[in-house]
Amino acid sequence: MIKVSDPVLIIGAGVAGMTAAVELADSGIKTVLVEKLSTTGGNALNLYKAFPTDDCFYCFEGNRWRPGIRKCFYRSALTEQPNIDLRMNSQVEEITGAAGKFSIKLDIGPQYVDPKKCTMCGLCIEKSKAFSLVSPQCQPQAVSFDPEIEDEGTAVAAEKCPTKAINLEAKGTKITINVSDIIIATGYHEMKPVNVDEYGYGTHPNIITQLELAQILDPLGETKGTLLKPSDGKPAKHVMMVQCVGSRDENYYPYCSKICCVYALKHAAILTQEREGVDVSVVYMDIRTYDRHEKYYRDTREAGVEFVRGRVASIEPQKDDSLAIIVYDSLLDKYLKFSVDLFVLSSALEPSPGSSQIIESLGLKSASGFIGATNPETEVVVGNRIYACGSALGPSEVPESVTQARAVVSKILQNRK
Amino acid sequence: MDDNKSAVLLCTCGKQLGLSFDFLESELKKSNLTASVKVEDLVCQEEGLVKISDLLNANGGHLVIAACTSQKIQPRIDQYLKENGIDGSQIQYVNIREHSAWVHEDVDEASKKSLDMIHGTLARSATSVPLVPETKEITNHVTVVGGGIAGIESALSLSNLGYDVTLIEVSDQLGGHVKHLPIVAPTGKSGKEILSGRLEALENDNKITILTKTRVKFATGEMGDFTIHYLTEDSDDELTLKTSAVVMATGFKEFEPIEMDEYRYGKNPDVITQFQLSRLITEGTLARPSDGGPVKEVVMVQCVGSRSEDYKKDCSKLCCTFAIDNSLEILKQIPDANVSVVYMDIRVPFEHEMVYKESREVGVDYIRGRISMVWEQDGNTRVKIYDSLMNEYLDVSSDLLVLSTAILPPDGVFELSETLGYVIEDDGHIKDLYGKLRRNETRRRGVVAVGAVTRPQFVSESITDAQAGALILHNELQGGKIQTIMRGAILDVDDCVGCSLCAQQCPRGVPLMIEQTDSEETSEDQKILFKAIIDTLNCHSCGVCQSLCPTGATQLNFLTNDQMWSEIEAILEGAGPDYPITLCFYCEECAVSTIDIAGTLKMEYPASTRLIPVPCVGRVSIIDILKAFEGGASSVMIAACETDRCHVGGTGNEIAQVQVDVARDILNAIGWKGERVDMFRMFSAEPERFTTAIFEMVRRAKELGPTPVHKGTAGKWMEADK
Repeated sequence: MIKVSDPVLIIGAGVAGMTAAVELADSGIKTVLVEKLSTTGGNALNLYKAFPTDDCFYCFEGNRWRPGIRKCFYRSALTEQPNIDLRMNSQVEEITGAAGKFSIKLDIGPQYVDPKKCTMCGLCIEKSKAFSLVSPQCQPQAVSFDPEIEDEGTAVAAEKCPTKAINLEAKGTKITINVSDIIIATGYHEMKPVNVDEYGYGTHPNIITQLELAQILDPLGETKGTLLKPSDGKPAKHVMMVQCVGSRDENYYPYCSKICCVYALKHAAILTQEREGVDVSVVYMDIRTYDRHEKYYRDTREAGVEFVRGRVASIEPQKDDSLAIIVYDSLLDKYLKFSVDLFVLSSALEPSPGSSQIIESLGLKSASGFIGATNPETEVVVGNRIYACGSALGPSEVPESVTQARAVVSKILQNRK
Repeated sequence: MDDNKSAVLLCTCGKQLGLSFDFLESELKKSNLTASVKVEDLVCQEEGLVKISDLLNANGGHLVIAACTSQKIQPRIDQYLKENGIDGSQIQYVNIREHSAWVHEDVDEASKKSLDMIHGTLARSATSVPLVPETKEITNHVTVVGGGIAGIESALSLSNLGYDVTLIEVSDQLGGHVKHLPIVAPTGKSGKEILSGRLEALENDNKITILTKTRVKFATGEMGDFTIHYLTEDSDDELTLKTSAVVMATGFKEFEPIEMDEYRYGKNPDVITQFQLSRLITEGTLARPSDGGPVKEVVMVQCVGSRSEDYKKDCSKLCCTFAIDNSLEILKQIPDANVSVVYMDIRVPFEHEMVYKESREVGVDYIRGRISMVWEQDGNTRVKIYDSLMNEYLDVSSDLLVLSTAILPPDGVFELSETLGYVIEDDGHIKDLYGKLRRNETRRRGVVAVGAVTRPQFVSESITDAQAGALILHNELQGGKIQTIMRGAILDVDDCVGCSLCAQQCPRGVPLMIEQTDSEETSEDQKILFKAIIDTLNCHSCGVCQSLCPTGATQLNFLTNDQMWSEIEAILEGAGPDYPITLCFYCEECAVSTIDIAGTLKMEYPASTRLIPVPCVGRVSIIDILKAFEGGASSVMIAACETDRCHVGGTGNEIAQVQVDVARDILNAIGWKGERVDMFRMFSAEPERFTTAIFEMVRRAKELGPTPVHKGTAGKWMEADK
């Protein structure tokens, strides 16, 4: 018999995992939220502007604990909510046992900085390069420590920290917990297209992926939002994007990554409408702006973005740092020549590392490497008391991830009534 | 203990803040609103939390905490106090770290600004009242409108969560479009298979009442107390039922391309829609509708009415998948059929792509282009196709011309919006509360929308939507006990003059106008026929009603007019011609985040700025703005959320814009220069939006010079005119 008080394990603290955690916490269910990185937020923390609302990606839903429709990550108070046990720098090592009484072995990373004690006063960052603020929006709101770059100031910082939040001797631990249900919210990973030879990723600094472009466009990033070439830090004027890199491709991933068209066009819209003197071409097979996302296609065409249906035939770096690109245009049945400063690859979204292990150890179905539903029409139920939400199920938009997380919580509560 | 005095707790952030705490302490002790001043090094740690409890107990709950952003420390403090059974509802916060010490290099200037802001907060604290939680018992019943897959799943989910449900369907049977689908991507099952288990569960569930052949006419009331008025085919009378919440799940309508002459739909019986084809396949009657002849040649046309300026601008999302699935079904039934699909872009998300590939492999022909003409010749349907890849025209004959027509909102959405209070999108679907995070909620609390009534959705998505929608209502209804969040608008009905501004403009439709049946005593011409009521339990405490109310009848219980006006007066104490001050009202949503992040990044801006928090800028009235000038401000800025991104779920920021515009007109009219007041939109991913704005308003404060208040000429202009 499952009791309301039995805890739920959530793997991954991106948008989907965080939503599931706060919704469960609201209903009085204890959760253990496990995140492998030092901040929550997942991919969303680096994406700057989100579709479909075109405001920041830092939005996160309010709950009974933090009333309101939405709050920034930094205000989400995940470490303060009594029903959420947030485990940063941690990973699930092993899952045994059966539905209702899973036994989970967790590998908890060393906690050099106690997030409940850190006030972000900035003293340690002044004293030592080993301390940094991953993002002003990071959650938990605490500085991070990198033991790899320990310097002479590190010990001083630990010594002087007003709240004694720093423990340089911290060690990782392994613990075993028992949970009734498991939620997989491990998100997606943007494929690094190093093996897709025809696009030359990794051979030239100005050949980048869409996620890398998002970071260049981010006003909180290194370039403060100015479109600069990674090669020499000079402004980029001519941008070419190419869709379906590794997606819809039998050699890599046969599926469509679903959201790349929309976020490519979102970036194209920002470049042409909010940055000075930038032109953008998009090379595509089919533009897939589903539903109201069609707006991005209309708006970018109107803003002068050039759409070329076809494939990239060759890329040649030039002496002046530009790239000479030849594109086969299948509508005109012609080869077209372009000179571009920045070549942006809409690279496939692949299952996050570890998905296959989870699928295997829990005996779940696979959907092209993502977590597959037991019955495809009920997409969030993936096993007996095992659920998945967000991009763990396949590439998902933020709103879909949130809705799926709520559906998971709905199912868990329905099971406990 | 003096009632209007508050204790002040100053935090040094571990002695890391560049502020003169000695100065703050000695100055604050001089104020007659200060009960005591304590300087602590770490308010957020255990010792600080203990200190807070002590000060609350010693000062009847009146406490001002001057520390880092309340967005971060308040949850911890609230939790600590809750665990210890102490009421912290009157604590007032002032941010002297991100909003002052971290953004001003000059310690004296930052200290002076911090002092003024603490003075302002003391004034707000002086008349604060304890906020007591309340609960309301309600009927444990939800009404689901629409008996398609989304409605069915909603009913089952809500029943599982413990609610009684009435499921209302307009037609004579449940199942909506899904029951006619031969195959439901990506499940490999037919619509009937997906429905059967669910229909059985409905039948066996005695908490669910099913009303078919029933139409909802309108609703009255609000969350926890709705009355649904409906008509059934079996009765001539309008019937009603009491319910606490409503799920809108009325699905979609397929576009009928009668007006699109080029396709001959409605004139040639062999021209059908994709959904009509689904029905033919499901019913096993795949033949030429005109003469019952065999089907060999099939041409499908995508985007009929979708992605079109004349009909539906957006993509209908599902039609490519439907067309591909039906193509495969046709080939299964008639292996030697030829199926061509004429398209602009094939749009099949994720693994549907693999089904698309399979269809190409089994011979479905995809032609990128458009149909240029359809006509009948010798009893055959002829189609002229422009192939944009080959740049040539093809003339083909077809037994069936299948139009993948646009997916439109269902009928009746608009009619019900008037009484259920949700908002409609430009495209006619029900608008969500917030596109990124609140897809199933509508503007009206207690009304959720799930499935295709919100946007075209695959079956699996509709099911997920329904499950999520059930959770949202469960969060609200709490199994029959609605809990208030304590903060909200309180209406004094004696002061209400029945103008209905609050009811018209509340972003969430909370105030209701109620007929005054017992108002006969007053004389006929003075009689107020309708007065507003506000259920504070439903309120989102934005303060729009308060800023619009002409008589002060409705006020937020944590930020009354008196509190705001005394804060404005106190914070501007040092303002004058030699010390021009820019006063900034900021919302505690996107604006506070933007200002906090600017602080965390230590982005410098002038210290001649004073900041006052409001829950939503919709709380700021023209009077508040004018009071700021009366108090000596040289310029006033409002920091708000981005256009159409109001956090209270509607128009709080747009109402503030109107207040600002009118305030400017007034200032211009009386010669005070309207540019002294302005509104700026911001979000935290772009913190320079705030700093740019504040530099601009500080510049205006300097350049526009002393105000008539500074010069002592205010209020004298009428005499001067004489």
